[in-house]
Amino acid sequence: MALIEVKNLSVFFEAGDRIVQAVKDVSLSVDEKESYGLVGESGSGKSTILRAICGLAPISRGEILIGGEPLLTPRGKAFTRKVQMVFQDPYASIHPRHTIDRTLSEPLAIHGIGNTDARVVQALRDVGLPESFRFRYPHQLSGGQRQRVAIARALMLEPEILLLDEPTSALDASVQAETLNLLNRLRAERGLTFLMVSHDLAVVDHMCERVLVMQHGRAVEEMENGALANASMKTDYARMLYEASADRMLG
Amino acid sequence: MTTLTEWLRDPSPKSRVQARVGQSYLGWLRFRRNPLAMAGALIVLLLIVLAAFAPLIAPHDPIAQDLSQRLLPPGTPGYLMGTDEFGRDILSRIIYGSRVTLYIVTMVAVTAPLFGLLVGTVAGYAGGWVDQVLMRITDIFLAFPKLILALALVAVLGPGIENAVLAIALTSWPPYARMSRAETLTVRNADYIAAVRLQGAGPVRVIWGHVMPMCMSSVVIRVTLDMAGVILTAAGLGFLGLGVQPPLPEWGMMISSGRKFLTDFWWVATMPGLAIFVVSLGFNLLGDGLRDVLDPRSAGK
Amino acid sequence: MSLLTVKNLRVTFDTEAGKVEAVRGVNFTLGRERLGIVGESGSGKTMTGRSILRLVRKPGRIEADEMTFDGIDLMKASERQMRALRGPRIAMVMQDPKYSLNPVMKIGRQLTEGLRLREKISDKEARAKAIAALEAVKIRDPERVMEAWPHELSGGMGQRVMIAMMLIPNPDLLIADEPTSALDVTVQAEVLKILDDLVKERGMGLIFVSHDLRLVSQFCDRVLVMYKGRVVEEVEASKLMEAKHPYTQGLLNCLPRIGGGRGPLPSLDRSAPWAEA
Repeated sequence: MALIEVKNLSVFFEAGDRIVQAVKDVSLSVDEKESYGLVGESGSGKSTILRAICGLAPISRGEILIGGEPLLTPRGKAFTRKVQMVFQDPYASIHPRHTIDRTLSEPLAIHGIGNTDARVVQALRDVGLPESFRFRYPHQLSGGQRQRVAIARALMLEPEILLLDEPTSALDASVQAETLNLLNRLRAERGLTFLMVSHDLAVVDHMCERVLVMQHGRAVEEMENGALANASMKTDYARMLYEASADRMLG
Repeated sequence: MTTLTEWLRDPSPKSRVQARVGQSYLGWLRFRRNPLAMAGALIVLLLIVLAAFAPLIAPHDPIAQDLSQRLLPPGTPGYLMGTDEFGRDILSRIIYGSRVTLYIVTMVAVTAPLFGLLVGTVAGYAGGWVDQVLMRITDIFLAFPKLILALALVAVLGPGIENAVLAIALTSWPPYARMSRAETLTVRNADYIAAVRLQGAGPVRVIWGHVMPMCMSSVVIRVTLDMAGVILTAAGLGFLGLGVQPPLPEWGMMISSGRKFLTDFWWVATMPGLAIFVVSLGFNLLGDGLRDVLDPRSAGK
Repeated sequence: MSLLTVKNLRVTFDTEAGKVEAVRGVNFTLGRERLGIVGESGSGKTMTGRSILRLVRKPGRIEADEMTFDGIDLMKASERQMRALRGPRIAMVMQDPKYSLNPVMKIGRQLTEGLRLREKISDKEARAKAIAALEAVKIRDPERVMEAWPHELSGGMGQRVMIAMMLIPNPDLLIADEPTSALDVTVQAEVLKILDDLVKERGMGLIFVSHDLRLVSQFCDRVLVMYKGRVVEEVEASKLMEAKHPYTQGLLNCLPRIGGGRGPLPSLDRSAPWAEA
């Protein structure tokens, strides 16, 4: 059974006197322990789907089911222990005035989970950060290290589902490689389900079993992992995206 | 000594306390580079020392009258700043007056910004009708001239130091509310706020633990810059006889009583005036320096 | 003759935490060719580009044994001389058009203002020139764009306007700092093509600063690879795949590829001897 089901989702925003349709009638389903990618250019609505799942954007039409159950509004604590999100910009997603320790122990405090010290130390170790980082402030860390902290924070509540919103697009190529490796390792170890958003077809192809190409808020084409590799896409837009990305691959 | 600075500068602190103290130390290093701010800090420190050790420092009793010694000019042996119309030593009165000034300043600095911060962050974070109601109340308070409103309040409550504090606090919170609301609006859509909400944090936790720390620095800066105004308002109330009651020495009141002799005995009004000027300047310089240290835009660079 | 010579360029920042050396002894010469400067964040690539225009803010300091542009000593030039160079002779395109265009001025006015001030020509002539420049960057209806506000333009459009603005005075050298990193892939290709054609057509020198090694090698003649403020390798763009330096190879290999398998991506070994020093 599908763990995440998005059925005919539409998201509208009111911007001044006109209505912007960020997502138009998109359906998708993600199986347990699957990694599913959403790919598209800016304004395609891919991130909005993630935000709608976790309540940061409204569900204007359609519905979203997690584990077969419809979502509550507001989402509630049970939801947060099941679904967590990693944001795009590690410079903006970690509180600048809190130490790493505070950032990581906050979710434990909210949910009244004890044994904070041991859990924080373990979380740092899991994402490959030295224990000496525990009482540093975010500005003392590099972008890649911050993103590791953000991943550690998302895993503090031991969720089943990780929503990844362009988790590596703000990072250097070599740091991106390390972060993607880390995410893959954590998924294998913990049996996580990923719903990942990216503008980079190569990243999504590397990380995900299935990919949904989006444009202007609509789903364009869903592809299996292999379909990308042998360029057997059916729609023009997916092909154009593929070619623009493949263009950059030398050798 | 080297070990202490090493401990302070340790890039990977071992405990929460060390992390916080280390950050403050870096801030202090930044602050120290600004000579004007250091001068401001020194003046404020001097004010605190004067107030704390007034009985030890003051050469005379500030209240004791001696009509044989009235209106002596500054520099008279034993009376460095001269005496007033009752023969009281002006220097001693200024030193004791610093207690009153510091008391008012501290009380206002503790109450008004905190209240303003609370109103502002709640309004900004909640939005909607809560925001509307809170901000309209703020507007009403802002619509009155500060001193007039304080005057009216004191007139209703009756003169006295506590009521003066209350009046000044009640008139000075709206700017803090405005400011923290603006700050909250920029912070509230940040990813780190979204992240903590996604972890199930309720509004109280988000406002208290995550939004307020971001507003804190601008509030602290504003408080130090406003202190000059508070001192002046307090002096103004004193001048009009609505603040501290005689014979307790208060700078504003001292000016008021010296006014009558301004042409012949200039020092009676001028000395407390100078004290107000110097302390106001001190707080302003301190505030400017703090801006360099605490401004979030400069932090972390 | 070389257009630009840089010898032993150093950029140092004095901070509370001590000296930070952003650029540590960079040498290169540039003719009317396309030079790529590639590196990760913190490699000093942007600072190298900015030092040429002496656009490094305090507490940063620029030092060099030699930095000459077309016979002019950039280290000794007065601030006034530098202002005369910036724009007319050396132009710079930055990463995000959102921050480089003045948000409260219409595009047309931004394009013509510099022209009118510099060349003392009439409004009409300036307007004609601006429209020609917009056409050169393949903007379909320049008349409409002239009347638009910056926020009404898409990222790709904004960047094209920026390029047009920089190219109006016909500079000899263009420094492009990550000109397409903020754009979508499909738009990126278009903007790069435009930039490339213009540079070739007008015979300008180009310094292309980017984090993307593959992208740079596609349309530069030579590539400098920077790490921690030093140039670790200089390669002909066409021979990039033969680059020997482990850092360059690391940068090439760590990107995922479509159909490239699911195994762990090779990561850079930053503890290797080359990374020290």
